[in-house]
Amino acid sequence: MDRSTPPPSGELRPFRFPPFVKRALPGGPTVYAARLPGVPLVSLELAARAGAHHDPPGHSGLATFTASLIDEGTKERDSLEIAALMERLGGYLYAAADWDSGFVGVAMLSQHLDAGLDLLAEIMLAPTFPGKEIERIRQQRLAELLRRAYDPSAQADDRLVEVIYGGTPYGSPLLGLEESLRTLDRDAVMAFYERHYPIAGSTVIAVGDIDPEDLIGRIGGSLAPRSGQEPAPASPVIRPAPLEGVSIHIVDRPGAAQTELRLGHAGVPRTHPQWTALNVLNMVLGGKFTSRINMNLRERHSYTYGANSRFAGRLGPGPFTVDAAVATESAGAAAREVLGELRRIREDLVTPEEMEETLSYMIGVYPYTLQTVGDLAKRLEILSVFGLPDDFYDHYLDRLAAVTREDLLKGAREHLHPDHIAVVAVGPADVLLPQFEGMGTVTVHQRQPEPAAAEIAS
Amino acid sequence: MTLTTSEPTTHPGLQLPFERATLSNGLKVILHPDRSLPLVTVNLWYHVGSKNERPGRTGFAHLFEHMLFQGSEHVPTNDHFRFIQQVGGVANGSTWYDRTNYYETLPAHHLDLGLWLESDRMGFLLPALTQESLDIQRGVVMNERRQRVDNQPYGRATERLHELLFPPDHPYHWPVIGYMEDIAAATLEEVRQFFRTYYAPNNAVLTLAGDLDPDEALKQVEAWFGEIPAGPPIPPISPLATNPAPLGGERREVQEDDVRLPRIYLGFRGPAYGQRGWYAADLLAGVLSGGKSSVLYRDLVYDRQIAQDVGAWVSPYEEIATFMIVSTARPGVPIETLERAILEHVERAAAAPPEPADFERSRNRMLTELYSGLQKLDNRADLFSQFTTFFDDPGGVAGEVERYLEVEPRELAEYASRWWTPSERAVVTVVPRKAA
Repeated sequence: MDRSTPPPSGELRPFRFPPFVKRALPGGPTVYAARLPGVPLVSLELAARAGAHHDPPGHSGLATFTASLIDEGTKERDSLEIAALMERLGGYLYAAADWDSGFVGVAMLSQHLDAGLDLLAEIMLAPTFPGKEIERIRQQRLAELLRRAYDPSAQADDRLVEVIYGGTPYGSPLLGLEESLRTLDRDAVMAFYERHYPIAGSTVIAVGDIDPEDLIGRIGGSLAPRSGQEPAPASPVIRPAPLEGVSIHIVDRPGAAQTELRLGHAGVPRTHPQWTALNVLNMVLGGKFTSRINMNLRERHSYTYGANSRFAGRLGPGPFTVDAAVATESAGAAAREVLGELRRIREDLVTPEEMEETLSYMIGVYPYTLQTVGDLAKRLEILSVFGLPDDFYDHYLDRLAAVTREDLLKGAREHLHPDHIAVVAVGPADVLLPQFEGMGTVTVHQRQPEPAAAEIAS
Repeated sequence: MTLTTSEPTTHPGLQLPFERATLSNGLKVILHPDRSLPLVTVNLWYHVGSKNERPGRTGFAHLFEHMLFQGSEHVPTNDHFRFIQQVGGVANGSTWYDRTNYYETLPAHHLDLGLWLESDRMGFLLPALTQESLDIQRGVVMNERRQRVDNQPYGRATERLHELLFPPDHPYHWPVIGYMEDIAAATLEEVRQFFRTYYAPNNAVLTLAGDLDPDEALKQVEAWFGEIPAGPPIPPISPLATNPAPLGGERREVQEDDVRLPRIYLGFRGPAYGQRGWYAADLLAGVLSGGKSSVLYRDLVYDRQIAQDVGAWVSPYEEIATFMIVSTARPGVPIETLERAILEHVERAAAAPPEPADFERSRNRMLTELYSGLQKLDNRADLFSQFTTFFDDPGGVAGEVERYLEVEPRELAEYASRWWTPSERAVVTVVPRKAA
């Protein structure tokens, strides 16, 4: 065998995005349905314009709180009966919200599709929001906030978004802040639900071992719109104030074994015309194992087990972030290396080899990202949430292939801001402080004040 | 109010075709064709893990796994990932108590690339090993340990539980990632010796899955791997690994950590993965904590609200399994209260079989999870390698459904009464560190 160079490839085999049916039901939801044979599973999900960016000022956490309560009671069944119904069949039910949307979904064996659809309809049409479940989930979420306050990775994430987005909905965690969580009541939850979960204008995504046309017919019969409902309101505009210079925030965690490091600033909405180019840019910079930042911090310096960067895709300008858990004595040096990589990629074109490797990675890996019911459902959800054209994924590879090195340089210069960036380091302040001298303004934070939740006796 | 349920769940079984072969150097090969996507997975298991280490030299199998991504005779340092990523492939490796695996999923027309890379590091690793690579990777692994264990809230509890459940010379006593001082002390000569001892074709299973022709693919495997010589016989694991002396008394420890909510870790030993009792244990874990309507969640989290979360697992270990119950207390709830509540359920599980509804839920959940896990080609290939490595039985992947369906409810109670005795348990509680 000639082992001296990589062997030649065989012949490329074609791949197409799986076909799906999209149908807007009059006065009802828009359905995206795709058949994915192979395993006897189905995922069925209703998505509404009910994400956390709709949290009113002072009411952080309302969207996720409301979503988590939707499946906690109907006129027919209480919370445990609802959960037991799907779980006994081997399936499960979930209700949650991210920044853009609220979701209620069921995942199950395809033989139980009818039971799943009936349950989803029952939940969406008449949730009762029982007071005792509101209190139970409130206590659970307050305890979760307390857990986060002692988790260095979560502390770093939460501090970073507060610095970048303070005063906007993106400035607090999805779970909300304690002051808000204590005041959210049944009226607020009901009002949010009424306003943000109308059946008309919502989306249903169905993927799996199903017949799309047959399923669309059944959805039309089950999910009839509630009367007198307005369509959900459009997304609010989120516009964070620009960051002034490089601001370093050290969160003191005396004696910690390592330091959680974050860098970031506001990015662009998912619908931005440069989105594809920025994704390619990020892949070169910190989006894959062989990226500049990971090779620098991990393989050259062994500062960390791994470093990543990303542009978060949201309706509003989600963050651009870099994260790594680093050896405490190297935290300052690691932050400087990251800033250096951000500057370097703004100065010069990426090399032709980097460009070719990165594009061919992103193009080649596409079928791998479309193997499961969940993979396909996620893609259809993206089409719906961001209002992308139905043939968006048919042309996805062509759009990638058309991105140039010049597009990346333009993207880097316009959307990476190494001189207007927040740096967060959660670790022992006494060791960290000297390492950040001369990098920018430094603020040292004590651990967040002990949340009062600790005093609740049960 | 009664619950409406639809038709009872039926289980059609699984169609998972495969062919198998063994090369003359002892390498076992499994070929699983599936043409639904233009992908192919190369999945290679070496039957060596942290259990092959010894006290004082822990973490070696895992550190070694890192070294296998540092290049081989024909693959320059750091180019392993680059070669794979630049054709659109994904790759990784992982180390566990009983095995180490390496895998890449590639566009199907790049099968030869995966075979080239894996055969090069199986047959031609030693010339590429350098002190510089070892130094870098020791630093990376020390940061991995800090990130996963030392800087993680509750991060040292599972490690401690294993130390209490198994005596110091038992191969599951120490953590897979190893102790910090052992990682720091690893030498290049030990890395070489480890390779010569364990990384041979006669200690490996190679599964290829995806868009391939089995006959054609086997010829490619023969071409790339056939010339690698077999290694010496693999040193055996002590028979005491499967049958350690009983604890003969509860082992207990309180750990202080930088946390606010106390948490309890309860551990027992049990029959190894593959035995009938293991499947009973897995079903029992589902009865206790699988889903919101499970026994422990219902009682501790939902009704009494003394716990923030609760989980129960049986680990799929090859020599002897562990069963763990882990639960975090709600603010203000003493950890003793939570422990008493859990122990009541432990006793109840031993006293009587689960309610029919709980048993049915757990069984259906296991089967749905099985199907769900088989959707991804790399998972499927990993299961073929696993069943071939542990049991020399690639057909065992499809047989999993039957093994769950065979278990009777009474076997869950028999399992609990046999294994969950107070003198054979270990308990670690993690409590907030007292202010200095």
